[in-house]
Amino acid sequence: MPRIQKTFVSSVPLCELKSMRRVLGITLLAIRASLRTKAVVALFALLAVCVLLLPSVIKSDGTAEGSCRILLMYTVGFSFGILCLSTLWAACALFAAEIDSLRIQLSAVKPVRAAEFWLGKWLALLLLNAFLLAAVYGGVYAQLRWQMRANGWGEQIALTSRTVARPILPSVAQEVRETYALLKARDNLPEGMSERAILRALAQNAQERYDLINPGEEKHWRFTLARPLRTGEAITVRIRFDTEFSTRTAVQGFCRLSSGDRAVEVPLDDFSLNEIEFEIAAEAFGAADAFTLSFRHTGDPQESSALMLRFRQDVALLTAGGTFEANLARSALIQWSVLALLAAFGLTLSTGFSMPVAMFTATVLLVLTIVGQSVVEGTSHEDEQEWSNRPGIWVSRGVTTLTQHATQNAPLESVIRGERVDAKALRAALLWNVLLTPALFALLGTHILRRRELAG
Amino acid sequence: MMNPPLIETQSLCKTFRDFWRRPVVEAVKDLGLCVERGEVFGLLGPNGSGKSTTLKMLLGLLHPSSGNVRVFGKAPQDVMVKARIGYLPEVSHLHAFLTPRETLMYYAALFGMPRQGAVRRTGELLEMVGLTHAADRAVGRFSKGMARRVGLAQALVNAPDLLILDEPTSGLDPIGCREVKDLIHLLSQAGVTVLMTSHLLADVEDVCARVAIMDKGVLRAHGPIRDLLRTPDVIRFSVQGLSEGDAASVRAIIEKHAGHPVQQDYPEMSLEAYFLNVVNRDAPQKAFEVAPFLKP
Repeated sequence: MPRIQKTFVSSVPLCELKSMRRVLGITLLAIRASLRTKAVVALFALLAVCVLLLPSVIKSDGTAEGSCRILLMYTVGFSFGILCLSTLWAACALFAAEIDSLRIQLSAVKPVRAAEFWLGKWLALLLLNAFLLAAVYGGVYAQLRWQMRANGWGEQIALTSRTVARPILPSVAQEVRETYALLKARDNLPEGMSERAILRALAQNAQERYDLINPGEEKHWRFTLARPLRTGEAITVRIRFDTEFSTRTAVQGFCRLSSGDRAVEVPLDDFSLNEIEFEIAAEAFGAADAFTLSFRHTGDPQESSALMLRFRQDVALLTAGGTFEANLARSALIQWSVLALLAAFGLTLSTGFSMPVAMFTATVLLVLTIVGQSVVEGTSHEDEQEWSNRPGIWVSRGVTTLTQHATQNAPLESVIRGERVDAKALRAALLWNVLLTPALFALLGTHILRRRELAG
Repeated sequence: MMNPPLIETQSLCKTFRDFWRRPVVEAVKDLGLCVERGEVFGLLGPNGSGKSTTLKMLLGLLHPSSGNVRVFGKAPQDVMVKARIGYLPEVSHLHAFLTPRETLMYYAALFGMPRQGAVRRTGELLEMVGLTHAADRAVGRFSKGMARRVGLAQALVNAPDLLILDEPTSGLDPIGCREVKDLIHLLSQAGVTVLMTSHLLADVEDVCARVAIMDKGVLRAHGPIRDLLRTPDVIRFSVQGLSEGDAASVRAIIEKHAGHPVQQDYPEMSLEAYFLNVVNRDAPQKAFEVAPFLKP
């Protein structure tokens, strides 16, 4: 009697290799779908138009630096915005369209775990985004190099990547705690504000507060570099000011950078720009990694005004930190991590909602994320007292808190300023945006998929 | 020791509800069903009788409102259970942008098959359903019958122990229908359990050993098809090559013993058999090539 061969006897326990094959199969299908339905081709064409045409459409200030900023900030930024939206919408469609069209029935009756479905589709979006983002960055970099050669920008600007060291100051949280304790001890806490509201206001103040250096005053900041100085390199001192131009021009002073018993003093008398940078050769300090920077305001108290600056942000020591290309890659990685997070979010939404509902919800939440930060920063104590404002403020705060890891980095700004994208920020972005938060979304998405009926 | 039934439902109910959780329709009511290993079981009923809903509960696509479903002794959502099932839905719902080869490779991947094995299996299945010539054309451009063949092939990709077929002959021409029925016979002989639904009673009669008839979500009748269809106390003799005179003599003897007149008729072949005879008169009959599945 004829018997059917049981080549693939399914009573064998499902092993990891089989699981990987299933995930890979789902990933390949999603990639095929995006290619065959021409979705990726259309997106690629749109991004190509952005990368090639946008720099010539947007007017720069005519300087090499301004043109470079447009290329990096606007072209990459705009392309990234397009990728954010397309990723979110594609993710919303991946499950929802398959469930709505009942195509998922054939896959759902196969021995595939909900988590494998989720992971396979998410990986497809990650790979497609990696390809598209690499194409955008590659296109912009090629343009940048070409422009530098064709227009002689190379003599005006240098594509660098420098490690930034900030002053050693108490952390924002520590400063907030100390200030709050001090206000409480003096019985000077604002009336009618909750403790949380006061702490929030103090944190904002600690981050954005301007400190003054009046004529005749001297301020010191301590720094520790990530590594000791190397022979032959230079250390750059950078100070930014926010004082008005009319009063700033009369400022004079001395900057002194010291390490142990070695010090270099630099007189400063040109404050016409709101940023001063100067280099000191490493030979002046040897292989030092701890420095003290001081600024003494020697301007005439009658004519000169105080200098305004935010110590946490405006004073920095810069040293060589890898290549511009590597920095560009780090920026791309951070942006890719944000796309990974959006993909995870959209996918999870699509497990529970139909395609239009998932897309609408995702878009609303994206807009809330974008405007939430401004709402939170612009909310005053009086605004909070108004009951009609409270739901909006609560939602904005909630969304801002949940998305802070995704939105706190501005890698393009760092690249444009020639600052090395912080390794800690990169690690945090990858950890939160590619691992932890997507894992939470995956748990939620797979739970919904298991509970949901996949046939009508 | 008796083997437990391969499929068993107890007091199975399914009520569809609206957004506000209000009951809209009771699709299945108090269904108790047993399908034994190796049998071909037919689930019959008019449109809306709850056949497809029952199948979807057996597959874990729908959750019962109450009652129990066990397939291979386990819950249908269990991946170990799913690994042993092949399913052909009423409408194939294939990815239009994939070719039949890619479709089968995809479903083979979902079973965790290694690539080499999947390639071989895909080739065998395409040959079996007669789609080798169209293996690299997009499924979206296929006729309903061709898409159905791809659907059937994907249901067999894992060499299932249980094959669930929802209207398997829907959209197929008479030759295709015959091929599917032959395939079901062969699979059954090889020990595969087949559960199928169909509106076409002749199809069910051809292949099923047992049937259950559902109407408005309720099981109205079930049992071996011979028992259900047999007319009690009636015996039929079929004789070939008997002359008119001899026939009259035999008839007279039987009437004498029975004590009442005997009905005499001339058997006709079914329209399907006649059609197949006509269209295959000049060509050898092409059945599904199941050789790759069968041990010599």
